[in-house]
Amino acid sequence: MSFLNALFKKAVKLTVFQSVLPEGTRKALFLRTTYKLPPGRTLVLYFGMRKNENQLVPSKKLDLDEWKNVMKSSLPEEGSPEILEHEGDSSSTAVRELVEMWRLIGGMVPEHISDEQWKVLMELSTKTSRKKYLKHLAIKERFKNAKKAKKEKQMTERKVMLEKPVETEEQRKVKNTFIMYIRQKNFDDMYNWRTAQSMRFGQPLVFDMVYDKHMNRKEMENTVKQILETESWNHRSPDPFHIHFCSLQTEGPFHKELIKRYKEAWDKLLVTATEKAHVEMFPKDKLVYLTADSRNEMKAYEHDKIYIIGSIVDKCMQPGLSLANAKRLNLRTARLPLEKYLHWEIGNKNLTLDQMIRILLTLKNTGDWKAALEFVPKRKYGGFVNTQHHSRIKLELLGEKKVHLFDRSFSSNLNKEPKPKKWWEEK
Amino acid sequence: MSLCAFKAIARSGLFFRAIECHREPVALFPPFYRLYLYNLGCFPFTTSPKFAGPENYQKPPSVKNAKPRRASYKTGFPFSAFAAGAAKRRSKFNQKETEETNDGKTHVYKGNIIEVPAKPLFADEWKILKEESISIEQFEYRMMLQIIASNGDINVAKSLLVFAARENSIDYKLLQKYLCLCVMQNQTSEIFDIYEIMKTRFKRWEKGAYTLFIKGFSQTDRWEESLSLLEAMKKIETPSSRSYGSCIQGALDKKKGKIAWGLYHEMLENNLTPRFDTLKAFFDTGKALKDDGIFKNELMEVLWYMRNNQVYPNEALMQSIKSWFESIPGEDWKGYTSVVENSGRCRVCSQSLESINLSQEEYDILKDVILNDVIHGNDTFRKTTPKELQKFQRFVTSCPPFDIVIDGLNTAKSPRQGINSEVLLSVVSFFAQKNLRLLVLGRKHMLRTPWIWWRQHMDLIQQKANCFFTENISQDDPFLLYATLHSGNHCRFITNDLLRDHKACLRDTQTQRLFFKWQRGHQLMLLNYYPGKQPTFQPVLNYDTIVQTTGDTWHIPYDADNVERVSYEVPRTWLCLQRKDHKT
Repeated sequence: MSFLNALFKKAVKLTVFQSVLPEGTRKALFLRTTYKLPPGRTLVLYFGMRKNENQLVPSKKLDLDEWKNVMKSSLPEEGSPEILEHEGDSSSTAVRELVEMWRLIGGMVPEHISDEQWKVLMELSTKTSRKKYLKHLAIKERFKNAKKAKKEKQMTERKVMLEKPVETEEQRKVKNTFIMYIRQKNFDDMYNWRTAQSMRFGQPLVFDMVYDKHMNRKEMENTVKQILETESWNHRSPDPFHIHFCSLQTEGPFHKELIKRYKEAWDKLLVTATEKAHVEMFPKDKLVYLTADSRNEMKAYEHDKIYIIGSIVDKCMQPGLSLANAKRLNLRTARLPLEKYLHWEIGNKNLTLDQMIRILLTLKNTGDWKAALEFVPKRKYGGFVNTQHHSRIKLELLGEKKVHLFDRSFSSNLNKEPKPKKWWEEK
Repeated sequence: MSLCAFKAIARSGLFFRAIECHREPVALFPPFYRLYLYNLGCFPFTTSPKFAGPENYQKPPSVKNAKPRRASYKTGFPFSAFAAGAAKRRSKFNQKETEETNDGKTHVYKGNIIEVPAKPLFADEWKILKEESISIEQFEYRMMLQIIASNGDINVAKSLLVFAARENSIDYKLLQKYLCLCVMQNQTSEIFDIYEIMKTRFKRWEKGAYTLFIKGFSQTDRWEESLSLLEAMKKIETPSSRSYGSCIQGALDKKKGKIAWGLYHEMLENNLTPRFDTLKAFFDTGKALKDDGIFKNELMEVLWYMRNNQVYPNEALMQSIKSWFESIPGEDWKGYTSVVENSGRCRVCSQSLESINLSQEEYDILKDVILNDVIHGNDTFRKTTPKELQKFQRFVTSCPPFDIVIDGLNTAKSPRQGINSEVLLSVVSFFAQKNLRLLVLGRKHMLRTPWIWWRQHMDLIQQKANCFFTENISQDDPFLLYATLHSGNHCRFITNDLLRDHKACLRDTQTQRLFFKWQRGHQLMLLNYYPGKQPTFQPVLNYDTIVQTTGDTWHIPYDADNVERVSYEVPRTWLCLQRKDHKT
């Protein structure tokens, strides 16, 4: 507004006054008048300008209700044919209606929902869980589309590159080399050989698969994803573990999900999957259950022990689940010495399965805690504890305490002063 | 003091007489216990005349470098850790200590806020504005949101819609937001117009539009249509208590009590919690309609509903309840705002409130639930082992009932001063002097670490009290609860833990309430402790904070506006209603 006023003032000064007043008086007037014009004056002028503006814009008066006519005249929105198809089942139509309505209001809903996803969606009981699942699907879809777009872009670039003719004769010549091109298959063969070796002579590592009842669908998917990753890290290491999936029920949820992810590779996998529990397969005194709730800190990696990792992703806060299992079977427990080596800042001390196996593999091959604990996510800790410094402080503290205790007992003996009586000792 | 004498005193209501003149805040203690440090003149278990009453009260020696008394200490009334505002105060003190490390910087996120024009614009002007703005996606929608946020002129919104209709058609989302603006500013004719458009244009509506229409219609002459809208909404999903509330408000405005009460009962059947403004509307209308007998009965039912579900009204609703009572013809009710003393007496009418003790039946349920849900749960190994549990149960049954059960670790660790074992010994001796039968619960490491838990102290403790030491990896709180419940109604327990995680293990809200009530009546908390002095404890309230009546009087606890209450606290302020004619 103030900007417009200033503009009008300038315009008035330049045009109206100059043209109206005679030559001589113009100067005199401008000398006398201040540059500040009274507000009333600008208002009057403003009205004049307003009229002008209306004349400039030919589109008559502003019709505020115009949109209503537009809306009324246009055709009603067409219902999606999907809903009409499934009219039979009342509960499924209700869910479909709900999804459509969320789409209307601009919620996170994917474009396409497969039949399997519909089935999962119908099985969810609460509205919030459905909303969450749809959001998850929408995000997944977005990632998928982005990946697809990227791939297409790369394909076209490649096409352009291939179409370019090879110019020089030198480039066309076949090179002489004594090493054949090393393909992925060669690597795989080597890895398989190593893992097969470990299956005969390697150290066992047990994944306890008894937690399927404690997890929901999403947690189960995450667990299996982590197991896949775990297996591949083990496969690629110079000295792999012999992995055991213990208490894996055939046709149980874990088994189904694993087969779904591995497909036919599941039968060729170099791991031992068994329905037997770990206590049945190994001597009890060799087993160590790794759990973050344990009271015992792991001091050093022991090559003759069999470590057990509970394969569970716990998002619903069920503390002490694996500790309870170890207690029931009377097994030794241990936890990683995270507090001892790291300045822990944020997050749960429970690590993912793939992080656990990378830590264990590094410990097994090098025995270096610092190198092993590099695999703990960086966001969770501030830095490594300077162990030398740390131990010195600890010693000092201990020494001080001892001196203190010593002083106390001696001074009272030497001075022969009667101890101050406590209130409960008074009669 | 023998137990019988103690019980007699308890019955006579002489419990916990609070002495307000001798308050002594102590700053040396950890912030948690610095809440409100009172030296209570009368403690239930004291026998020595020294602590018997205000006449003989001796001020404890002043503590060095104690901070000067704060102004906030002067206001208020001694209250337990479960009274409203205790958690706030605790957090405040905690904050004070960490203040130095924190810079107190607050990061306020500022998104791309679009400036709302002051007057309606033409379509081409909107177009310019749209092109100028940083985020062109959903420009109309975001502008509409901004208009709503700033409660802008409706004409600006209309001109925006004109622009949107010309650019591309108006979608559901935008129209719903416009409806929101109309309802907010109560533009009746606009609401009707949008209703017509929505009916023809869109096949299905979602919950938000229904809610808005119900609210919009209920304030007008077409309020009956809001009822049919509510019916239509039920086909999609359960309407919220807000929608029911708007319908009820509309019906009450037109003095249709029957419809309003019908909707109210339907809402309760759907397990919805009525909003305070809905209840307030009932009481306000009840005041205006003076001759209806049904209305009075229904309002009484509302009060009983508040009692059964432990709903505490806010200050506005309390005022409505008060004025409704005062307006009942033929009955001369008088209402006062009041506080209740720790003894359980209302300050205004000096009547004793309901006791906090559970009935035998409730007590048995609670005992059962604690054993099954808290200790066993899904898996006994999570908290203890079956062997240990059996051992403990044998131990408890072999001993005669206890008077006090002490959580050894919690009690010993809570004050920052003093050696752990000495604190525990002090607490144990304090109760042992009164010839009370004690049980101290601890873990086995307490016996194995004589440099932390001094052997001479532990020996003395074991002489003065029965002790039970659990495994180091077991939880001791469930044992504490079980031992206390097993000993009977007179038994109390000492811990500074609020036991919220154990409350969360219980199966439904009804048992959780039962547990909370029992906890309020039986939990002693160590308040302050100086090495070499007698420890003091927080008062146990022996009255229940709940809506209650004796026929001639009503006592209704309510939340004062300026007090923040968290879920595990109860209000401290009361509305005291009494019938004058009956008394004289």
